[in-house]
Amino acid sequence: MSATTPIQHGHSRTLFWIAVAVSVLMFAPMAWVLVLSFTDNEALSRGTEAAFTGPYTLKNYTDIAGNSGVFRWFVNSLIVGAGQTAGVLVLSSLAGYAFGRLEWPGRKVIFVIVLFGLAVPEQAVIIPRHQIFSTLDLHNTYIGLMLPGMSLPFGVFLMTQFFRAIPPEIDEAALLDNATRWRIFWKVLLPLTLPAQATLGIFTFLFAWNDYWWPLISATDKDMYTLTIGIASSQVNFAQTEGLGFLAAQAVFAALPVLIVYIIFQKHVVTAVSGGAVK
Amino acid sequence: MAAPHRQSRLSNALFAAPYLVVFIALLVVPLIWGIYLSLQKADLFGLYGFTGWTNYARVLNDALFWQSVRNTLLFVVVTVPILVGIGLFLGLALNARTGGAAFMRGVYFSSTVLSVTIVTLIWRFVFIPGDGLLSLAFQAMGWQPIGFLSTEGWSLFSVGVATVWWCIGLPMILILAALQQIPGDLYEAAALDNASRWRTFTRVTLPQIRGTLILVATIQIVMQFQLFGQAQLMTNGGPNGTSRPMVLYIYRAAFENWDVGQGAAASELLFLIILVAAMGQYWVTSRGPRT
Amino acid sequence: MKKLLLTSAAVACLATGASAQTTIELQRFFGACDSDYGDNTDVSAAVGECGIITSLINDFQAQNPDITVDVTTVEWPGYDQLNAQLASRNAPDVVSMHYSVISDYTSRNLLEPLGDILSEQGIDTSTFTDAALAGVTKDGQIYALPFDNWTMLWHVNLNLMEEAGLLNDDGTPIVPGSTDEFFEQAAQFKEATGKPYLVQILANETAAYTRLFYTFLMQQGVDPFTDPNAVDLTTPEATAAAEFLKRIYDEGATTTDMDYPAAVAGFSGGDGGIGINGTWLIGDYAAQSQEEGNALSDGYTVYPLPQLFGAQDATYADGHGWAVPRDPRRSDEEVAAIGQLMAYLAENDGEWARTGHLPAVASVFETEEFQSLPHRDNIAEVAETGQSLNPEVRRQFAIQDIIGEELNSAVHGNKPVDEALSTAQQRINDLLASL
Repeated sequence: MSATTPIQHGHSRTLFWIAVAVSVLMFAPMAWVLVLSFTDNEALSRGTEAAFTGPYTLKNYTDIAGNSGVFRWFVNSLIVGAGQTAGVLVLSSLAGYAFGRLEWPGRKVIFVIVLFGLAVPEQAVIIPRHQIFSTLDLHNTYIGLMLPGMSLPFGVFLMTQFFRAIPPEIDEAALLDNATRWRIFWKVLLPLTLPAQATLGIFTFLFAWNDYWWPLISATDKDMYTLTIGIASSQVNFAQTEGLGFLAAQAVFAALPVLIVYIIFQKHVVTAVSGGAVK
Repeated sequence: MAAPHRQSRLSNALFAAPYLVVFIALLVVPLIWGIYLSLQKADLFGLYGFTGWTNYARVLNDALFWQSVRNTLLFVVVTVPILVGIGLFLGLALNARTGGAAFMRGVYFSSTVLSVTIVTLIWRFVFIPGDGLLSLAFQAMGWQPIGFLSTEGWSLFSVGVATVWWCIGLPMILILAALQQIPGDLYEAAALDNASRWRTFTRVTLPQIRGTLILVATIQIVMQFQLFGQAQLMTNGGPNGTSRPMVLYIYRAAFENWDVGQGAAASELLFLIILVAAMGQYWVTSRGPRT
Repeated sequence: MKKLLLTSAAVACLATGASAQTTIELQRFFGACDSDYGDNTDVSAAVGECGIITSLINDFQAQNPDITVDVTTVEWPGYDQLNAQLASRNAPDVVSMHYSVISDYTSRNLLEPLGDILSEQGIDTSTFTDAALAGVTKDGQIYALPFDNWTMLWHVNLNLMEEAGLLNDDGTPIVPGSTDEFFEQAAQFKEATGKPYLVQILANETAAYTRLFYTFLMQQGVDPFTDPNAVDLTTPEATAAAEFLKRIYDEGATTTDMDYPAAVAGFSGGDGGIGINGTWLIGDYAAQSQEEGNALSDGYTVYPLPQLFGAQDATYADGHGWAVPRDPRRSDEEVAAIGQLMAYLAENDGEWARTGHLPAVASVFETEEFQSLPHRDNIAEVAETGQSLNPEVRRQFAIQDIIGEELNSAVHGNKPVDEALSTAQQRINDLLASL
């Protein structure tokens, strides 16, 4: 990263303060939900003006501790996210090595076919996928939730680019020593791809964490809901008896851990995301 | 060209094999199966015979399908430039090594880590009639309240606001990264030429990050074409389908009307549209000067 | 989770020495209210649909310690989720189901006929009301335990009606007998109170539009589904019903932009004189009227939708039942547990009737508890005037969405009434033709 030049500094000062002002729009909705989550449900049911006057309470949060599935959904999301991320990293690294670094018959044609897969939207395959998983009894399982994300070609594309970009000298000596392909991959090249792994890992995890349609139709047992689906299932209660305060508390509870992790690792996330996508 | 030690060997393909198995099983097979389904009379519980192009004809004759295509195109055409534009603005504004800039980067990226249901929950608390934040603000101002989620026009607008709020982090970060790669001497040269800020921006900054802007736009086009969760959870496509995107049309056909054949036909059409859009975008951008 | 259940079952065995634990999965709408009723087994203390059904299930488990009922709450009406579950063979053991959709599922052989299960529990199907029994019977077989009949009602805020001078001498509200009277009274109401006459669900909603539309068609003696595979909405009667709904909106005789929860809260907050909403709210509103210091205090009553069109007094009705999806892997113990649950629910139909729904078990009407419930004599006639659609019509919920969407457009002036009706007809017939 080059140092910021004085010109950029001068340039960005006004813009910076505009950005600060506009950030109110980022904050306001979150702050509103936060206040609602601490407001008494009874008072809210008479009108959300109560958020400004109180009474305030912790009851919405203690109710979650007692009665909400949100803990379990959170753990499910973690398991699915971690599993899918691990799977994508392993598959993409191996395939990236094969496509970007090795020669084998049919490599080019197959790579082009895989790249075409980038253009296939989830919608085009989701109904047949649902039927295939039904036949294999994979619905309502962690594996069933993780697998579809592992078929996405994006990771293979990214890792192929990275393996290709590593200068040939790096593995030349090992090749001449007749080291096995696996050993070269594992000992020599893989460590060099760690920044790309971090990027891909974060992308994949966010994708899995935020996935909506597949878990909506695959995880239909409430013990297997991911956080996304669980919270969606309780949004119903807008129409029914559970109070707005409780719903808001659930939203805060579900969002907070991710936000905290994000704040702690913010710098790494930002570097990794930008490092991977821009050469 | 290949040295002996880099020769083509079939065993090398073994490294690609695990991925290719998953790729074929979960992408290629379903894609072909989907095309097959689209030519069948089918519901969620069975197939009832080959019907040729009937499902396609029904979809193409369905005013609702075209409405959802229009909604989706409108959504993409409006949100993508906004996302790129705000991303560029934030990139320029926050490209500084100060604590304040780092903090603001964090703020603008924070919404990206939330899942779609949290985002829609948050924005429903803002938009819902009577109890929503905006409704209270309108009352306080003495203005006529607007049914943001239930009025034609406003409902898609509201979904768009939530989407931009949710998605703005990624464009900003990608553009920031590109800005930081611009060599400082380019700016020094521009300064020596006494170039105005605007001129420096258009002649130095923009050409240098052109590739990234195209990348950001492509990612966003593909993502926003697949709009589903926000629309389903905030408006359920209403009122009268004016905020129903193509994906929600497919979902309803398959899971509410049980018409899997029609849903599959609509999916293949969506696939075709995305393919054309992606190729069109590639064609347009690849004709310009290379970066 | 399966393991966890097994372990807890094992622990329960050791602790009580009872027979093995049986778990049945129950999936329902009616909302989630675990924070208020999660542990409550005192059914009589519960109010409203969600509170009562949650407490009933809790009480059933307390009475049957060897049976665990694993409850999943889904967004109303939950059929797309059920469809995904049925397609992946992961359907629950017991699921809440409207009478109007049962034929969809039986036509694909997806539901278990309940005749044997019910007779084993000694449940005599002749104890159900005619309307309830007809709702759950397809081709001579019973496919759900009928739980209630429901309809849309005329919820009245007497305090505002008094202010508007729309009370009779005996304190009962003046109910319009024609559309003209309706608009006269609406104008009088608005003049006196400054508020709209009706509180309606008009936003993000399809069901309410359709139910009113069906009601006004039925009052004109028209069945749009004489042929269950094709709808006819091009009749003058259909136009009249739709025009009436539109005129209510155009003349400002209704609240606007309220979605379901806003309309429920709007009526209890006194936003208008008449709330058009279902039987299920009687319990909540009656409870509210007993309290001091709110818009309904000592001033709530309820009537069937008035007869505004001349041919006959009728109102669209449907009902809730409990169906059992087919599952060849289900064990005898599970089937027996399902039967016990059904028997318990039938026995406690009177508790459910406190929500405001009409009971499905005929004898409940005769009980003192039921007769002492407020306002029930006002609406008793619905048992006679309630009509459902031709039971052979499939995809009634998809049809409801189509009609509701098109009427929404027409009412809000985004489409001419005739165009909305003909579009609805074309969409419905395309849907039915492709079954």
